[in-house]
Amino acid sequence: MFSKIDKDISRSQLIRYSILIYWSLFWLLNIIDKIIGGSHFLWVGRDRFAQFQKFFASAGLESPFIADFALSVAAALEGFAFVFFIGALFKLFKNKVEDCRSWFFIGISLTLATFTIFSIGDHIFGDRFELLEHTLFWFLTLFSWVVFNRLEHKSDEQAKVKDKRQFFGAAIVALVLIGITSLSIFNYNTDFFSRRTDALAAEQIGEDIYKVSFPFLGGSTVFEKSIRKFKKEHPSKMINHIYTVPKPLRLKKADGLIFYIVTEDRP
Amino acid sequence: MKEKTIIRFSILIYWTFFWGLSVIDKIIPDVHHLWVGKDFFALFIKFFGSLGLKDPLFATIALALISGLEVINFVFYLISFINFAKGKEAHTEKWFFRAILSSITLFGLFSIGDQVFGDRFQLLEHGLFWLILIASWALFKFISPSNNKGFSFGPKKGIQLALIVGVIITTASSISIIDFSNRTFSNVDSAVEGEEVVSGVYKFNFPFLADKIVWEKTINKFKTTHPDLKINYIYTGPSELNSKKKTHLLLYVFTDK
Repeated sequence: MFSKIDKDISRSQLIRYSILIYWSLFWLLNIIDKIIGGSHFLWVGRDRFAQFQKFFASAGLESPFIADFALSVAAALEGFAFVFFIGALFKLFKNKVEDCRSWFFIGISLTLATFTIFSIGDHIFGDRFELLEHTLFWFLTLFSWVVFNRLEHKSDEQAKVKDKRQFFGAAIVALVLIGITSLSIFNYNTDFFSRRTDALAAEQIGEDIYKVSFPFLGGSTVFEKSIRKFKKEHPSKMINHIYTVPKPLRLKKADGLIFYIVTEDRP
Repeated sequence: MKEKTIIRFSILIYWTFFWGLSVIDKIIPDVHHLWVGKDFFALFIKFFGSLGLKDPLFATIALALISGLEVINFVFYLISFINFAKGKEAHTEKWFFRAILSSITLFGLFSIGDQVFGDRFQLLEHGLFWLILIASWALFKFISPSNNKGFSFGPKKGIQLALIVGVIITTASSISIIDFSNRTFSNVDSAVEGEEVVSGVYKFNFPFLADKIVWEKTINKFKTTHPDLKINYIYTGPSELNSKKKTHLLLYVFTDK
C-alpha cells in the first residue's frame, strides 16, 4: 500500500501537502470558531469575544464595538489566509508549481501579519504566555515556508527495498497492541465510569472536619452529590467552610482534588 | 516586491516591535488607559526577595540593566530596519546580526536568572525565544537566492475568486461576531441565576465575560430574592470541578434558614 503511494507521489510532495492541509485546516477551524460563537453541542471552541472584550476593557476601552472591530480584522486576515492556503493546495494538486508557491506565500504573509499583530496586542495587554504562543506560531509559519520551498524541486529517489515481511510484522504488532490498548480502555470505562457521577464518602479526620478525595473523573456533579450525601448523613451538622487543598499540598501526583468540609453543630 | 524582501521585512518588523514594546512596557509602569503591560518590577522584587535580597535597590538595578539591554536591542533592530528601508543590504545584515547577538545575550542572561531563581517555566519560555532568535537570523541571512522570486498567481479568475471568497468569509464572520457580541455583552454586568443543586446549596455558572461586578450583583440579587435564607458560606469551585470547559467559574452558595 505504502509503495503504491510512493510511486504516485514523492515523499517531498506528501510533506508539502501536509503543510498546506495543516495551515488550511488551522485557519478554517479558526474561522468556524468565530462564526459559531459560544459553546454548542459538538463544538466548544474558545470565546474570543469575551477574551478580546476583557483585554480591551483592561486597557480602558469598554465598548464592545472595539472588540467586535478587532475580532473582525482578525477574522478577515484569517479568512484570506485560509483562502490562499486552499488555493495553494488546489494549485499543487494541479501540479502548477509556480502558482502554488505564490499562493502559499500570500497565505504565509497573511499568517505572519496575523501573529505579529497578536504579539503586539500581547505586549500591550501584558499577556506573556500568549506572547510566547504567538511567537512560536510566527516561527512555525516561517519554518513551514522554508521547508515547503526547500522541497519544491526535491525528487527524492526512494530506495527500492523489499520490506514486505517487515510491513506484515509491523501490522501484526500494531494490531496486537491496538487490541490490548482498546480492551484496557473499554474495561476501565466499564469498571470506573461511575466515578464521573457517584457521590463520594466523607472521611472524618478530626472534630468537625471531614475529608473528601476526588477521583480524576470527578466534576461538579460528583461534588454536588457528595455534598447532598454528606448533608443527609449528618443532619445535625451545618457546613460552615469548605477548604480546597491547594495543588502544592497534593504531594502524590496521583492525588485528584481534595477538599475538607468544616462543620459545626446546628443550634 | 520579491519573496525574500517580504520575509526579511516580516522578520525585522516583528523583532523591532517586540523590543520597542518591551521598552515601552518598562517606561510605562503599572496599568494605564490603553496600556496594561506586565509588572516586571513586582516580578523582580519577588525574585530577589526569594534570594534573601529584600532591598528594592537590587531589583531596581537589575531591572534598569535589563531595560538598558532591551533599549540597545531595539535600537539595533531599528537601525537595521531603517537600512533595510533604504535598500542598504550590507548595513541591514550587519545591524541585524548585532541585534540578534545582543538579543540572544539578553535571553542567555534571563535563562541564567531563571535557573538561579528556580523558575523552570520561564526558563523554557526564554529558551524558546533564544532558539527562535537564532532561527530568525539563519533564515534572514541564508535565505536561498531561489527564494528571491516574483509572483505568479495563474489565471486572473482564480485570484478574483479568492478575493470574493475572502470577502464573503470576512463578512459572514463579522456578522456572526457582532451578533454574538450583541447577545452576550449583557453578561458583563448581569446577575447570574442560581440553581438549587442540593437543599440549601445554590450553584452559579459564571460566563466568561463575568467579573467582580457580576459577582456583587449576583449575591445582592440572591439576597433580595431569598430574604428567608442566610448565606453562611460561599465556595469557589476549583478548576477540577469545571470539567466541561464551557463555564468560566463555578460558585456555590451555602445557605440556611
